[in-house]
Amino acid sequence: MQIHPKKIVIINALLIFIALPALLFALGNAPARSLLKDSLSLLTVLAFSFMLQQLFLTRNFKGIQAYYKLSQLSNIHKYIGYFVVTVFLFHPVLLVMPRFFEAGVKPLDALITLLTTFQSLGVVLGLIAWGLMLLLGMTAIFRYKLVQKLGIKYKAWRLFHGALSVLFISIASWHAIELGRHVDTLMASFIMVFAVSGAVLLVKQYVLTTEKRTGVTS
Amino acid sequence: MSNPEDNHGLSRRQFLGLTGGVAGMAALVSMGIPPGWADNTTAVDLQKRADKAYETDVLVIGGGMAGLFAAVKAHDAGAKVMMISKGRLGASGQTPFAKGMFAYDEKTAKMSLDEFTAAVSRSALGTNNPVYTRQMAEHSQARVNELKEWGFFDSVLYNKPFSKPITERNIPLIERVMITHLIKENGKIAGAAGFSLDAEQVITFHAKSVILCTGAGGFKPNGFPICDLTHDGTVMAYHIGAKVTGKEWNDGHPGQADNAAACFDGWHGMFERKPDVTGVEIRHDLGVDLNYIAYINGNPLEGGPPPELMRKNKVKGGPYKPEGFDHSSPPPGGEAGLAGGPPPRGEEPPRHGPPPGGEGGLPPGMSQTPVGGSSAGMAIHKSEGLVPINDQCESTIPGLYAAGDALGSYMAGAIYTQIGSSLTGSAVQGAIAAQAAARYCQNTPMPTLSAATLSTIKAEILAPLKRKAGYGPAWVTQTLQGVMIPNFVLYIKKESMLKAALAYIEELRDHHMPMLRAADMHELRLAHETANMIISAEMKLKASLMRTESRCSHYRLDYPELDNQNWQAWINIHKDAEGNMQLEKQPFGSWPTQA
Amino acid sequence: MSIHSINGCIGCEECIKSCPTDVIRLDPKTKKAVIKYVADCQICHLCRLYCPVDAIIIAPEKTIPVIVSWG
Repeated sequence: MQIHPKKIVIINALLIFIALPALLFALGNAPARSLLKDSLSLLTVLAFSFMLQQLFLTRNFKGIQAYYKLSQLSNIHKYIGYFVVTVFLFHPVLLVMPRFFEAGVKPLDALITLLTTFQSLGVVLGLIAWGLMLLLGMTAIFRYKLVQKLGIKYKAWRLFHGALSVLFISIASWHAIELGRHVDTLMASFIMVFAVSGAVLLVKQYVLTTEKRTGVTS
Repeated sequence: MSNPEDNHGLSRRQFLGLTGGVAGMAALVSMGIPPGWADNTTAVDLQKRADKAYETDVLVIGGGMAGLFAAVKAHDAGAKVMMISKGRLGASGQTPFAKGMFAYDEKTAKMSLDEFTAAVSRSALGTNNPVYTRQMAEHSQARVNELKEWGFFDSVLYNKPFSKPITERNIPLIERVMITHLIKENGKIAGAAGFSLDAEQVITFHAKSVILCTGAGGFKPNGFPICDLTHDGTVMAYHIGAKVTGKEWNDGHPGQADNAAACFDGWHGMFERKPDVTGVEIRHDLGVDLNYIAYINGNPLEGGPPPELMRKNKVKGGPYKPEGFDHSSPPPGGEAGLAGGPPPRGEEPPRHGPPPGGEGGLPPGMSQTPVGGSSAGMAIHKSEGLVPINDQCESTIPGLYAAGDALGSYMAGAIYTQIGSSLTGSAVQGAIAAQAAARYCQNTPMPTLSAATLSTIKAEILAPLKRKAGYGPAWVTQTLQGVMIPNFVLYIKKESMLKAALAYIEELRDHHMPMLRAADMHELRLAHETANMIISAEMKLKASLMRTESRCSHYRLDYPELDNQNWQAWINIHKDAEGNMQLEKQPFGSWPTQA
Repeated sequence: MSIHSINGCIGCEECIKSCPTDVIRLDPKTKKAVIKYVADCQICHLCRLYCPVDAIIIAPEKTIPVIVSWG
């Protein structure tokens, strides 16, 4: 039986961006916690992995364009984007949420401590990444209005979106490696590999297109 | 996933076997216990110290319930106040674990204040000081109301509600500093000195008045959250000549056999509860009944409250309970009533956990095998500490006050008489001491501090860091625990054994205390704490030897009867001019004679 | 083994301040809390209860021999 190449792409994506991080999550040596807490952790890890995946669900990744139309791709990219941004929008709240159900520091007090620990590099990176993500999300949702108002080309917006994504994902990855409860060496390698390769892919594409335009292609 | 149980599975026998050889030393180090005698590997550069000095009217030492009210009320009375704590405000000592607070409500109480006081005196067999018993009840509702305003009863953790009144008043607060010395000049208090746990730094305080809110202490026992309490206040006050009392009494809380040291687990969720208010209910609880049964019969496997235990275990004799207080059934309101209210979120009430305030009620873990000595080294709350010369929490040293467990006020007597009164007593006495200290400051000029005194004190503080080699404080502590904690030494007392233990403790005092080493500021703390425990152990043994009777939580196998002829008296201890420990009687119901 | 692990620490020092027995310290390099004096842990769980990100796991076993009066 022949498997449709489209399916292979989906299976690969599922394996790489769901099964692999889930496996790393399970194999990691972070101590087990309550079901709620571990579920929230897994959700966060998967959202992070999906965020990395966004780098590949673009027109720049030629490998995928053979099987999917750009409009299809754009839709997938959009909905995954909604999911990722939603999870990370509430990421700081989700961290303290379990305290609603148990004794100890009150969730709001925990959140305040969390958001004001400026001496921690990881926290500062997280706050920056969160801000960048907000900017990224807003400028993506309102991209047509933005293009119209500023009188720029859509390509310019795309360049901006790509550049901002690379910046955001770099800082978010650094934040996750710095603070992540479940980010051990293996998980960190996973993040690094896909963050770097995705970024390289994007940069390469833009550099190449720029070179083409200026006619210095060899 | 790593398994928490895969290391350190060393049994006591293996441990004892190991302590001999070099391999044993290595094994001990790997477990986190430094060996006994060893070279000091100090990394502290004492030359680079940046010592600090502060000046204030009232210095409050301790950040628990007593310290909170001492600081707030001294400030409100117009004094310049500073607060200093070995740990964190509201998160050190016993306060963070006290969940029940007694309030005497005039409207609902079924007895008058005088009747309440008389009933406590009956249960306490005269050991209580009725002035302090009454004072506690009288002021209880006012303190509870203030705590309500600060959000105390809405919070499992107390740092935030405690911080509220302190920050509102801008009272300077220094945390993580261990005070080791009180400074006396010309017969009056002049300040205190200690060191920071976080910086290589000696800190001195120049003050007109000092309020010790340093809590009680123990021998770093297993099962009670008092391993940061080593009678620091009592011992430093003793060293400058203050009279201290109550060392013969014992808190008889048992622990549970499984992981006896895990006090969080042993207290069955108590630490995760919000505090609540308890009403009048006078009892005679948690002396040494269980210790006696265990001594006679072995481990008391049959559960139940103490009188039932006595019957079930067929034990005759033992500690005497006054008539009317030999509860054979749980108190009104059932077991949940002990906790002073239903536990949060409708969980099962902690069935036999120690009650709030660590007093009264049924022993914990009676559903499983109990073990003894979970609070070893601690007396009944408010029965040990500095001797007050009046109802104002004033000590025998002018300008030095104490409140809460640091004051030997005998508020409850030498047995637990009212659930939740310990926490309330700390709040009430903190406020009383504060107002008295503020008044004292108004008429007192700032004392002078001599450079010579300061330099001697600094040298004493830092001595363990300077030693090239010495005894590890953790090892000396363990030796002391082995001598003091056994049931047949600390609880079921007799002359021969008390004398034997005293010989050991005097050895530790004379030949180990001066040779304690410390490699860093944490170990420096352990060294000073160990020294304080040694002095406290000596006091406990000497007072226990002197009291040739049995009463409340003091039980002598060789003097099992109450002796009202000779022992309607408390025992006061002080250091004489030659540096020797002196003990004397002070009749019940009297104030000490002033020198 | 008393306080067992700190995972996901943000370096806010709440646990360090809240530990009555000074078991936890800040690692000067990583700026995160480390279990430094585990033998002194009294297993009271205050550090865990104060931790804003619930990073601390505590086991009920003491790392040094436990001395009791009778048992």
